[in-house]
This record gives sequence, structure tokens and C-alpha cells, in this order.
Amino acid sequence: MFLHITQARSPHKRQLIYYRDLIRELVVRDLKLLYKRSVLGIGWTLISPLLQLAVFAFVFRSVLQVKIPQYASFAFSGLLIWTWTQSALFQATGLITSNRALIRQPGFPIAALPIITVTTGLIHFLLALPVLLIFLAIDGISWSASILLLPILLAFQFILTVSFAYPLAALNVTFRDTQHTLGVLLQLMFYLLPIFYSVEQVPSSLQLVYHINPMVILLEAYRTILIQGKFPDWPLLLLLGVISGLLLPIGYRIFKRQSQRFVEEI
Amino acid sequence: MHYAITAQTVGKRYNRYHADRPRTIMETALWGHRRMKPIEQFWALREVSFAVMPGQMLGILGHNGAGKSTLLQVLSGVVHPDEGNVQVRGRMGALLDLGASFHPDLTGRENVFVSAIVAGLTRREVERRFDAIVEFAELHPFINNPVRTYSTGMLMRLAFAVAIHTDPDVLFVDEFLSVGDLAFQAKCLSRIAQLKANGCAVVLISHNVEQIQQLCDQALWLEQGQVRAYGEPNGIANQFADRMAVKNQMQAFRTYSKQVEIRTVRLWDAQGKPLSMIHSGDAMTIELDYVSHHPCDNVIFSCSISDEAGQIYCNTNTEASSLSISLDPGTGQTRLHLARLDLPGGSYHVNVGIFAAEWSIAYDYQWQAYPFQVHWTPNEQTFLYPPRQWEIIPSPSVKQIL
Repeated sequence: MFLHITQARSPHKRQLIYYRDLIRELVVRDLKLLYKRSVLGIGWTLISPLLQLAVFAFVFRSVLQVKIPQYASFAFSGLLIWTWTQSALFQATGLITSNRALIRQPGFPIAALPIITVTTGLIHFLLALPVLLIFLAIDGISWSASILLLPILLAFQFILTVSFAYPLAALNVTFRDTQHTLGVLLQLMFYLLPIFYSVEQVPSSLQLVYHINPMVILLEAYRTILIQGKFPDWPLLLLLGVISGLLLPIGYRIFKRQSQRFVEEI
Repeated sequence: MHYAITAQTVGKRYNRYHADRPRTIMETALWGHRRMKPIEQFWALREVSFAVMPGQMLGILGHNGAGKSTLLQVLSGVVHPDEGNVQVRGRMGALLDLGASFHPDLTGRENVFVSAIVAGLTRREVERRFDAIVEFAELHPFINNPVRTYSTGMLMRLAFAVAIHTDPDVLFVDEFLSVGDLAFQAKCLSRIAQLKANGCAVVLISHNVEQIQQLCDQALWLEQGQVRAYGEPNGIANQFADRMAVKNQMQAFRTYSKQVEIRTVRLWDAQGKPLSMIHSGDAMTIELDYVSHHPCDNVIFSCSISDEAGQIYCNTNTEASSLSISLDPGTGQTRLHLARLDLPGGSYHVNVGIFAAEWSIAYDYQWQAYPFQVHWTPNEQTFLYPPRQWEIIPSPSVKQIL
């Protein structure tokens, strides 16, 4: 058993400040590195979904002729939301294996690492948000009070993503191909989510199964408040909250149990 | 006052896996779960116990693979012990993988902030120490350049400066002083001494026996994951150095040229009778018969006494006594008279060797070939049993009972 007693000179308040500073510093480091490595820097976070959107517009408006009103806002919101979770999960999976130095640092809270990655993703999301708002404006959508619910949805998505990031990061220590496998699965998930098509187009016999995926509920809720300007389906939102609240401790527990072996395995 | 670090019967077990243990999901799916299981387990550490007070320094000695680094990892909590308890009180600092958390594309300033916060400081605390860190590292003109432009020495200086300014209550140091120039090493040592004086407990891994003797209050000698010796650093460091020397000697002289051969060794007591057992403090004469096949100049005779474990207690040679010995072909005899052998009881061996001038060739060497016993009555743990006498002087201020 290892017992670390922190002394009275570092009470809980300092500990909280410390976690805030740690997460902020490492998020800023990630952003700085992204910014320094390419001329476009943060711009990349916008260019990729915009290019995807251009392809979507071509394929689904002109070739397949999907009838969804305000398609640009519809597809772009789906893309942004899913890009956050997708890239955060993919990066979080490689966290432990690529951060040897941090894992070996005495007293370092390893459990903060997935939170840092998901936070970095959130910052990218927020940086791209003005572009989404421009699309909404172009599509003639005016804001309503429902947009005030956005932070709650962001919080739910944050918790949900972190919950999955924990076990995946731990699994990648035992099985080094977890990240590659996950890349393929996330690519498939992209097609299984209502990103470039709408939930209504799913056959009614499959609707129930389709809604098991919490990401589906989340995407719908986002669009309800952003595009339709209505308040979302409250029971579904509550369910989402309960699911996130259950998954987080499970994911964290798995990570914590495995974390004792990290140093010897990497 | 509380201990800063306590370790009680700490054990760490590692698994050894099948050589082609599956490392991927794909392989596991193909070959099944069987090969995932460890084929063997071994203890990297076992039954390790010690305690360090605030302001004390513990030196850890041991050969490669003795478990020193594992012990440091267990103490710092990055590896969990399978047995026993470790308790650490206060903020931990470490001089382990210096500079490993630096990112080459970030500037010195940015890296100082990242690594100091990773090491446990809040942003405010780093801001307050920033100037001191840069000054200590002597990197003021370069602090805004990316660290990929730094030399290795500069990197190490910066990393050390950060690590040492985190105000740890407990500091773990893994063999760091191969770093930087001598002046900087001296600066680092004095900074560690300063931390120690301010009540920081230090655990130091070092191969440098003198360093352990000079700096540490306690020493722990690990051998194959177990404590070989624990306690006062001078004695333990010397024992360790001897053991290293014997090991090296054994390896160096595995074959002997036999130009001069040892024929036999006899042990005599003070009365000139053959002995196999003496009492502590008795005299002993070691007689060596040799045969020389060629004329040789400046021959060295060497003689030592060791215990069953190979620990050398007494070691002398003719060169040390400034004797210049030339041998003609033929047989001869050499005697070493020991006026007293103040050894505690136990089984010992006499080791003898004959070497060419300046130890260039080992003509012959016999390790632990001639045993003898020392008879012993006092119930004491000691390495040496000199003639002794206690004298109790009654103090006027202390009232004597009875």
C-alpha cells in the first residue's frame, strides 16, 4: 500500500487551484504546440470541417438530393460536435503510452490527462463556434432563449467523452493497437450518427435501437436548441445526464485500477 | 516529529511474460487469452524496511539490477508495492528523468512553467520562483529561445533548477551527478544540502561510495532486491566498495600465469603450532610455500582475510610495506605475522596471491582456500573486537540507583 500524506500547508483550496493551473497549463501547451507547428495553426481546426462540409453539400444536396432544410447549419453543427468527441477519444487513447515522462513524475495526477485532452478539444469546438453561428445567420435562423442550454449540453458531452477516454487510454497500454482499431471504429460511427442525414430518415423499426447511442440523443438535443430554437426533449436530456453520471465513475474506476501498472508496462 | 518516509516490509513483484505475449487486440483474438498470463513471477524487491526523518539523507547502494530504481519508484508512488506499506509525508520532488517533460518547440520560459506545474507548483508559485530558477540555471540570455536550441548541459541545468525549486519535503535523486560541469555539480550538491538543512528528506541513489559517505546519514545496500545492510553509511559504503573490488578482482584474474605457484599455506599460532581455531585477539602467522619457475623481480605477495560471504576484513601486501622482492627459480617461503586478530567469532578464510611488478600479472591466486574459525563468547554485533575496558565515572549530578 502506498500512502501519501499531504501536509497542512497544502489544504484543499490549494489543491483545487493546483488542478486548475495544471489543466490550464497543459491545455495551453497543446494549443501552443499546434499553433507553432503550422503556419495556419488554430485555423486547421476550422479548415477540416469546412472542407468536409463542402463535400457534403456537393454529395447530399446535388448528387443524392437529401431534403433537409438549412442543410449547411445542419451538417456543420453535426460535424463540429462529432469532431470534438472523435478527435478527443482518438488522442486520449494514446495518452499514457506517449507521456512516459508525466506518468513517471512522482505525485502527478495521471487521471488529469484525459481531462486535458477533452478540454483541448472543447477549446477547438468553441473557437469554431462563431463560424457555426455565421452559418445559422445565413440560413436565417434567429437565436432564442434555448441557446442558453448550450453549456449544459457541452458539459454532458464533456463528461461522456471523458468517461470513454479513461478506459480507452488504459486499454491502449495493454493492447498497443487500440488506437488504430479505435480509428476505424470512430470512422464507422461517423456514418452511424445523424451527422449528414437526419434521425427521421432512420426506419421506424430501428428507431429504438438507434437511440441507444447517447451520441444520437446528444446530437439531436444540440440541433433542437441551435437550429429549431426550441427546448429539447426534457426526459431524454435527463436520461443523458443519468447515463453520463453513471459512465464517468465506471470509466474512472477502470482507469484508476489499471493505472497502478502503467509505469511497468510502458 | 514524524518520519518523512517509512517503508515497512515492502515488496514488489514483477511478471515475466511469454516471449510472444500478444501486444495487440488482433493477436489476442487469434491466439486466445492463454499467452496473456505471466509465465513466471519474481520479486524485484522483498522485505525492504527503513525510515527517514525530515532533514535526513538516505543513500542507496547496489549493483545494477539490485532493485534501486524500483525502490525509488515505489517510494515515489508511481509503482505500487505488492507487499508492505510505504508512507510519504509532504510534497515530493524528484531528480529522476531530468528534462523528460520538456518540449523542444517551446521556449525555456514556457518549459519552466509546464515542468514546474507538472512537478507540483501552482502558477503563482512558479511566477514567484521564476527569476530564481533562471538565475540558478545561468540561462538568462537564452530563456526565450526554444529549448531545441539548447545544449544538453543547458537542458540539464534548466531541468535541475526547476526540480530543485519546487520546495519538496521529500526529494528522490537517481544518480544525477554525471550531469553538467564540475562547478555546476558542486552548486547542485550545495543546494541539496541546503534543502536538507531546511528539513527536506532526501533519498539518493549513487554508485559513488564517497558521495554516500560524505552526504548521507544512513545507507541501504540492496542486493537482489533485498536489504544486505542498512545503517551507518561509512561502514556500509566501505563494505560495498570492498565487495565491488573483490568481484572485479575475481573477474580480472580468472586465469593465472603460474610462473610462480602457491604450493601450500599453513596457519600457525603464537606457540608455533598449526591452528584451525583461534580466540579473538590471538596472534596468527600465515606461512606460504611457493615455487618459482623463472627469475622474477619486484614480486608482490598479497594476503587477505575474508568471511564466508566474501567480505574482506583485512588486506595487506608486500608492496604496501615497500618491500622489493626478487625470486630465483626454486622453492621458497614467505611468512606474514599478525600480532593480533581482533575479529568477532565466525568462519573465515585466508586468501593469498602472488603478483608481478605493479600488479600487471597474477602469477597465482587462491581465494577462500584456507579456512579457520574464530572462537567468540561476547554477545555483540561487531566487525572488530579490540581489547576493551569500560570505565564508569560517577557524575555528581546523577543520583545512582543502588
